[in-house]
Amino acid sequence: MLELISVTKTFGRIKAVEDVSFSIDKGEFVFVTGPSGAGKTTIIKMILRDLLPDSGQILVAGKDITDLPLKQVPFLRQKIGVVFQDFKVLPEKTLRENIEIALAICAVDRSEWKDRVDNVLEITNLTKRQKLFPSQLSGGELQRASLARAVVVNPRIILADEPTGNLDWDTADSIIELFKRINAEGKTIIMATHHNLIIKKYADRLIEINKGRLVNDTKKKKADKKDNTD
Amino acid sequence: MKNIHIKSVADHVRRSPFQALSVVFVLSVSFFVATVLSILVYSSSQVIKYFETRPQVIAFIKGDAKTEEINLLKNKLLRDERVKDVRFVSKEEALEIYKKATSDNPLLSELVSPDIFPASVEFSLTDLSYAEEVIGEVKKEQVVDEIGFTASLGGEAGLTDAVERLRSISWYIRIGGGIFVTLLLTTSFVVLFVIIGMRVSTRRGEIKILDLIGATPSFIRSPIILEALTYSFLGVFIGWISALLLILYSTPMVISYFGEIPVLPSDTSRLLLIFAIILAAELLIGFFLAFTGSVLAVSRIRKKP
Repeated sequence: MLELISVTKTFGRIKAVEDVSFSIDKGEFVFVTGPSGAGKTTIIKMILRDLLPDSGQILVAGKDITDLPLKQVPFLRQKIGVVFQDFKVLPEKTLRENIEIALAICAVDRSEWKDRVDNVLEITNLTKRQKLFPSQLSGGELQRASLARAVVVNPRIILADEPTGNLDWDTADSIIELFKRINAEGKTIIMATHHNLIIKKYADRLIEINKGRLVNDTKKKKADKKDNTD
Repeated sequence: MKNIHIKSVADHVRRSPFQALSVVFVLSVSFFVATVLSILVYSSSQVIKYFETRPQVIAFIKGDAKTEEINLLKNKLLRDERVKDVRFVSKEEALEIYKKATSDNPLLSELVSPDIFPASVEFSLTDLSYAEEVIGEVKKEQVVDEIGFTASLGGEAGLTDAVERLRSISWYIRIGGGIFVTLLLTTSFVVLFVIIGMRVSTRRGEIKILDLIGATPSFIRSPIILEALTYSFLGVFIGWISALLLILYSTPMVISYFGEIPVLPSDTSRLLLIFAIILAAELLIGFFLAFTGSVLAVSRIRKKP
């Protein structure tokens, strides 16, 4: 589903990501963790083609997105749902309109909008809040709205960049439960977080980044372990 | 999808009504002036056309001239591309004209017979600059006794002056008006560009979000262009309707003041047709201003990191 091959990204003299390689299968829920400034967000941004790596390849569904023409980038992003730490909802639109705009962007037939939006509102438990504006919602509700917007277009992959960064533990926990539910429906989720409690409780697979380098991939470890026992 | 953009435009206008009002006001003023100036240019061209097309030259025919000779001269003038509206006025017709002119004193017309009036060939010129040349040629004709000019040409001596005067007035109205309208439209464009630029700037975060969730550039631009088009078309309609009302209100006064000079068409349908043409042209200009202004404003913002 997703593969990074020797990806390096520098900002001036700073190496944000250095020779990072990993692959993620369809339906996996992967946590990318590491301290602040480790390079987690840079990786997320490169997968979203918000940044271009200096070298290496990023394969999404077998296609290298680093040489994707600029005109094709929006169509790549339409296939990837994205949830941000700061929610990035449109402040002048109601919660429902925020979700609908994702459908409009993906040119989903208008006749499908109601069912799809109602469905994600129900999943994220936001049905009663749908007519409210972002300024009238709590942090947890905004993050669920952000998730609803990401999910409504039925993306192949969902990227989440510190989605619990601004939330208290209980709210964060409920958000991750929601991600788990969505993952159970077969969606591939890549979540950047440094929330240790969440990692301890939920991480099936953990990719650890430090100073731009991949220092630990639990899947690789498991595979190596399996090879050794065999 | 369209509804989402229209709703976005309505929301933006509702949330910043004063910016919207200011840009619509400036555009309305510009298109009001443009409409009035267009009518002024039309009227000035009608005035020039009136003076150019009314019979300007009268070739008085010698008393002993034969009908064939007169017809020869008439046909020669009819074939001449510099000349138009050639009309033969017989002695009897000349008497009728005299009677009409002296209708307030019937005694004067009773004392004269058609014989004392010379027959004449009246004609006008397609362009006043041909006047001296054509008159010179007609003078040489054997059947022509003498040449008369209408008051608009001010006689032979003032011919060049009259032509130059009319040409100057026409030039000032057309060029001066054109420059003025261009300046106003440029100002409108700048105001529209600045307001849309401000709108885009305040929506930069929104544009970035849309970009990240996969909106194509055309999706991002659509509500902004639609907003600019809304302002522009509103400006065109308000300016145009104001000018139309003003002209309709003043038409009777203008027509009675200028008398037989058709500065404005007395036929309402023709006047409305002229206004419809002006509206079509202004809508086209409005579309151009809004489209280029908004596309430039968006591209300027999107280039920034």
